[in-house]
Amino acid sequence: MMEMAWIVPLFPLFSFFLLLLAGKKMKEASAYVGMLATFVSFLVASAVLADRVGGSTYKAEQVWLAIGSAKLTVGFEVTALNAWMLVIVSLVSFLVHMYAKGYMQGDERFSVFYAYLGLFTFAMLGLVISPNLLQTYMFWELVGLGSFLLIGFYFYKEEAKAAAKKAFIMTRVGDVGFFIGMILLFLQVGSFEYSDIFKAVQDGTLSQPMVTLTAILIFVGAVGKSGQFPLHTWLPDAMEGPTPVSALIHAATMVAAGVYLVAALFPLYEASETALLTVAVVGGFTAIFAASIALVQTDIKRVLAYSTVSQLGYMMLALGSGSDVAAIFHLTTHAFFKALLFLAAGSVIHAVGTQDIEKMGGLWRKMPLTAALFLVGALAISGVPLLSGFFSKDEIFAAAWMHGHGVLFWIAVVASFFTAFYMFRLFFLVFGGEERHGAKDVHESPAVMTLPMLVLAVLSVAAGYIHTPWFGTFLGDWLTDGGYAHEKTPSWMMIVAAIVSLLGIFLAWLMYGKRSLARDWLSSRAPLTYNVLLNKYYIDEFYAWTVGYVANAISRLFYYVDRFVIEGIASLITATVNAAASLGSRMQNGQVQTYGAVTFIGLALLVAILAFTGGYL
Amino acid sequence: MSSVPLSAYLVLALILFCIGLYGALTKRNIVVVLICIELMLNAVNINLVAFAKYGAHPGVAGQIFALFTIAVAAAEAAVGLAVLMALYRNRKTVHIDEIDSMKH
Amino acid sequence: MNGPYFLSLLVFSPLLGILLLAFTPKTQERTMKWLGFLSTLPSLILSLFAFFQYLRGYRLEHLAEKRDWIRFADFPFLTESTFVVRYELNIDGLSLVMIVLASLLAALAAIASIHIKKEWKGYFMLFLLLEIGMLGVFAAGNMVLFFIFLEVTLVAMFFLIGKWGGFARERAAYSYLLYNGVGSAILLIVIAVLFARAGTSNMELLKEMLHNPAARAQLIAPIPDGLRLSLFIALLIAFGIKLPIVPFHRWILRVHVQAPPAVVMLHAGVLLKIGAYGLIRFGIGLFPDQFRDFSFLIAILGIVNLLYGAFLAFIQDDFKMVLAYSSVSHMGIVLIGLGALNEAGMQGAIFQTVSHGFISALLFLLVGILYERTNTTELDRLGGLAKAMPLTAGSLLAGAMASLGLPGMSGFVSEFTAFFGLFQTAPIVAAIGTLGIIMTAVYLLRAVLNMTFGASKSGAAQALDMSVTEAVPVFVLLALIIMVGVYPRILAEPLQAAIKMMMNGLGA
Repeated sequence: MMEMAWIVPLFPLFSFFLLLLAGKKMKEASAYVGMLATFVSFLVASAVLADRVGGSTYKAEQVWLAIGSAKLTVGFEVTALNAWMLVIVSLVSFLVHMYAKGYMQGDERFSVFYAYLGLFTFAMLGLVISPNLLQTYMFWELVGLGSFLLIGFYFYKEEAKAAAKKAFIMTRVGDVGFFIGMILLFLQVGSFEYSDIFKAVQDGTLSQPMVTLTAILIFVGAVGKSGQFPLHTWLPDAMEGPTPVSALIHAATMVAAGVYLVAALFPLYEASETALLTVAVVGGFTAIFAASIALVQTDIKRVLAYSTVSQLGYMMLALGSGSDVAAIFHLTTHAFFKALLFLAAGSVIHAVGTQDIEKMGGLWRKMPLTAALFLVGALAISGVPLLSGFFSKDEIFAAAWMHGHGVLFWIAVVASFFTAFYMFRLFFLVFGGEERHGAKDVHESPAVMTLPMLVLAVLSVAAGYIHTPWFGTFLGDWLTDGGYAHEKTPSWMMIVAAIVSLLGIFLAWLMYGKRSLARDWLSSRAPLTYNVLLNKYYIDEFYAWTVGYVANAISRLFYYVDRFVIEGIASLITATVNAAASLGSRMQNGQVQTYGAVTFIGLALLVAILAFTGGYL
Repeated sequence: MSSVPLSAYLVLALILFCIGLYGALTKRNIVVVLICIELMLNAVNINLVAFAKYGAHPGVAGQIFALFTIAVAAAEAAVGLAVLMALYRNRKTVHIDEIDSMKH
Repeated sequence: MNGPYFLSLLVFSPLLGILLLAFTPKTQERTMKWLGFLSTLPSLILSLFAFFQYLRGYRLEHLAEKRDWIRFADFPFLTESTFVVRYELNIDGLSLVMIVLASLLAALAAIASIHIKKEWKGYFMLFLLLEIGMLGVFAAGNMVLFFIFLEVTLVAMFFLIGKWGGFARERAAYSYLLYNGVGSAILLIVIAVLFARAGTSNMELLKEMLHNPAARAQLIAPIPDGLRLSLFIALLIAFGIKLPIVPFHRWILRVHVQAPPAVVMLHAGVLLKIGAYGLIRFGIGLFPDQFRDFSFLIAILGIVNLLYGAFLAFIQDDFKMVLAYSSVSHMGIVLIGLGALNEAGMQGAIFQTVSHGFISALLFLLVGILYERTNTTELDRLGGLAKAMPLTAGSLLAGAMASLGLPGMSGFVSEFTAFFGLFQTAPIVAAIGTLGIIMTAVYLLRAVLNMTFGASKSGAAQALDMSVTEAVPVFVLLALIIMVGVYPRILAEPLQAAIKMMMNGLGA
C-alpha cells in the first residue's frame, strides 16, 4: 500500500478542481464531494500507516528539473513520521469537512469553501509526504495559500482582508528564511533530500557553523508558519476565517507544519547545540508569552488562538530539548483536543451569533452536548491527569528537565498553570453562570456538527495512551524504529504538573464559577499589566511603527528619487536638447551678414584645425 | 622680369580680401555690400594671376580662371543689381538689415 | 518542415493578414477583428510545430536560411563573405522558446483586442506588423537583420501607443520612441563598429572571430580589449533601456499606463524580453570575458531593480502603475540570474523572461477586462470585485500569486532558479535580494486585495463578469503558467543545449 501513498493527496485535489468547475451547480452536494474525497484519503492513509507499521521506509522519486548537473527531484516518502501525519491530517480534515456542512449551511459560497478546503488538504497531505526540502517548501507555500484563501473567505469584510494579507505576508517573512536555509544546505550538500542531508551532517561534510546557520534559517520558516514569537501576530488575526477553518488550519494541521518541519529535519538540529537552544528558548518564551495574553482576551476564538500559539511553543520547546517524540506526541494530542475546542467554540458561535465571551453565559443548559465536549477538550488541554494532554505535556516537561533547561522547565510549568486558568475562565464564562445573550433562540447544533466533535472528544481522551510511561511508549518506539529510550520521569514531576493544572482550574472556578474572587482583580490591581496583556504586548503597534514605517519611508524615498531625480535627469537632457534647438533657431535671424560671419568663422576654424593637426586627425 | 616677390602680390590680395570681407559683413547698404563682394573676387583674381606667373607650375590656366571669374562676377553683379532694383521697388529700402523676412 | 522557407514563412505569415486587411472596408469591424486574430494563427501553429519537433529531437540547424542581400563593397582583395549582409534566419532552443512565446501572446493579444474601439484597420495592420518585428528579432541570424526587425517593432509600437492609447498617449508614445531610439542608436553604433572591423554581422561568425585565435586573422581590423569593453558597455546600455534597468525605466511606466492593454500584453510580455534576449545573445555571446568581469555589477543592478521596483510598486495608486513597477522589479530577477554567471542563473533568467511574459500578459489581459467595465484601474475606486466579478477577481488573484512566486506556478521556478544561481556566486547579495520576495508579496497583495476584497465600491458593483471570449485567453495563460510551474522540464529541455553553449563561451 505504501507505493500508493502518493494518491492520498490527489483525492482532495480532485475535489478542489471539481468543485471549482462545477461547484455552482452542485450547491450543498459539494459537501459530500469534499467529505468523500477526504474520507477516501483517510482510508488510504490508514492503510499506508498499517503497512508502514510492519514495513520499512518507502521512497519513490523522479526528476522534476535539471539545473546543469544538479537534478531536482519530486516524489514521496513514507517514513514513520510521514505516515503518522498523513493519518492525522486526513482524519481531522475529514471531520472538519463533515462539521462544516452544518456550520456553513446556507452560505452563498458554500462550494467555494469546500473547494478551498480541498486545496488546503491536498497541500497539507503533499507536505507531509515530501521526501525533500524543495518539495516541502513548495507545499509549504501552498498550504499558506490555502490558509490565505480561507482566512479571506469572508472577503467583503475589511478585517478578513487585512487578516488574510497579514497571514500571507508574515508567514512569507519566515518562508524567506526557509528559502535561504534550504538553498544554502543544497550548496553544501548537493541535494535537497532529507536522507542526503542527514548523511552529510553525520559525515561532517557540513561544517558546524553551517549546520547552525541553516538550522536556524529553516527554523525561521517554522517560526512563521507555527506562529512563534516574533512572527505570531498573524495567527490570532487569522480567526477572521470561518471557524471550521480555524480548527483545521490554524489549530490542528498547518500551524503544526513548523513543528513537523523541525521534527523531519531533527538530525540536523541535533548536530547543533546552538540551534537546539534557539528552538527551545523561542518555544518556551512563546509558550508563556501567548498564554499570558490568552488570560485576558474576550473573544472566544482569540483565546483559543493564543492557546494554540502557546501549545505550539510547547512543541518547539520539546524539540529544542531534544525530544522530537514528545513534540510529535503533543502535536497529535493537540490536533485532537484543539480541533475539538474550536469546533465546540464554532458550535457556540453558530448558535449565539457572537464571539464575545462577555455576551455569553449559561449555555450549559441550552447546549449540553457542546458544553460537555468543550469540557473534555478543556480538561485535556489543561493537562488534567488521565486525559491525553496530561501525558503529552508531561513528556515535554520531562524532556525540558532532562535536557538541563531548568528555567525553561519552570516557565513551561507556569504556562501550564495559565493554560488551565484561561481555558476554564472560558468555560465558566461561556457555559456557566446566567444567560446573558438576549432573546436569541439558542439550541444545540445538528448531528452533522456534534458527531465530528464526539469523535474528536474520544480521541482527546484516548490519544494519550499511545505513549505513556505506564502502558508503553508505542508512538516513541515506532517513530524511532524501536530505538526509543524512555528516560525515567521523576514521579514528582507528574504530581507537580497535575497540581499546577488543577490549581489553575480551581482559581478559574473561584473567579468565574463561584465568583468569590473579584473578576476585575487584575485590571484593578495592575491596570498597566492588564492593558499590556489586553493589547497583546503592543506587538502589532510595534510592527506598524517600525517595519511598516520603514517600508513606507523607503518607498517614499524611492518615489521622490524616481519622480524628481531620475525623471529630473531625463527632463534635463530633453531640456538641454530643447535649449540647443531654440538657440539654433534664434540664430536664424534672416540677417545675411550674420550668416556670412558665422560661415566665415567656421571656415577659419576648420582651416586652423587643419593647420594645427597637419591634415590628419 | 620685375623683382616684386610673390608674397607681395599675396599680401595685396589678402588686404583687398579682408577689406571686402569687412565691408560685406558690416555695411548696411546693399550696393556697398555688392561692391565689397566684387573686391573679394578681385582679390582672388590677383591670387590666381600671381600664382599663374610665380607658382610652382607656372602656366596659363590661372589667367584663364581669372577671366572666367571676371565674367561670372559681371553676371553676378548684373543679377545682384537687378534683385536690388526689384527689392527697392517693393520695399523702398536698400538697407540689408531691414531685409530679414527669411528668419525662422 | 525541411523546406528552406520555413522560418521566413513563420516570420512573415502575418503579412498575409496585413494584405487582406488592406482590402477590407473600413467599417467591417467584426471581419477585421477576426482577420486580425486568424492572421496570428499560422505563425503560432508553425512555431508550436517546430517546438514539438525540436522536443522530439529534430535539429534546428536544418531550418537555417541564407540568401544574398546587400553587398557593401566589391574589392578584389576581399573574400566572398566580407562586407556582405545576407538575409539570414536561424534559431536555436532559446530563440525557439522566445518565438513560441511571441506568437502565442500575439494570438492571445489579438483576442484581447476586441476592446479596441476605433480604426480597427490601422490597428490590426500595425499589430501584425509588430508581430512580424517580434518574430523576426528572435529569428534573425545577423545583427543587421536583428536591428531592422527591432526598428519595425519600434515603429509599430509608436503608432499603436500614440493612436489607440489613453489620455496621455502621445506623450507616452514619444517617451517610448525617445528612449528606445537612443537605445537603438547605441546598438547601431555597436553593430557598425563590429561590421566595419569584422566585415560581417553574422552572429556565429562574429562569435568565432572574437574568440577563436585562429579565426581572429579574418578580422579586417583588430578589436582590442579596450574597444571590446566599450562595445560591451554600449550593449549593456542599449539593452538596459529595453529591459529596462533602473534608471532607464521611466518610459515603461508611461507605456504600461497609456497603451491599450492588448498592446501592453505584447509589450510587457515580449518586447521587454528583447532586452534580455539581446543581453544574452550579444552581451554573453560576443563578449563573454567582459560579461564575466561585469557579472557582479549586473547582479547588483538586478537587486537594485528588484527592490526599487518593489518598493515603488508598494505605494502606487493605479493598478497599471503597480504592474509597471512590478515589471521593473521582475526584470531584476533576469539580471540576477544573468549576473550569477552559472547554469542555474542563466536558466533562471530565461525562465523568468518566459514566465513573466505569461504572467504580465495575463495581468494586463485582466486589466483590459476590468477597465472595459469600470473605466478605472485606480485602487481607491475599486473594491469588492470578487462579489460582482468572481471569475475576474479569482484570475487576478491567481495572476498575483503566480507573479509573487507561488510554487506550482511558473514564477516560482524562475525565481527559485535565479536565486539558486546567485546564492552560489554571491550569497550575501542574494540574501539581500530575498527581501524582494517579501516585498513582491506585500505590494501585489495590497493592490489585488484592495481591488477584489473588501466592500464593493460604486464603480464595480454591477459590472458583469468576463465573457467567454475574454475568458479563453485568461484560462490559456493560466494553464500555461501552471504547466510550466508543475512541469518545468517542458521549458528546461529545449533550452538545455543553448544554455550549455553559452556556459562554454563563458568558460564555466
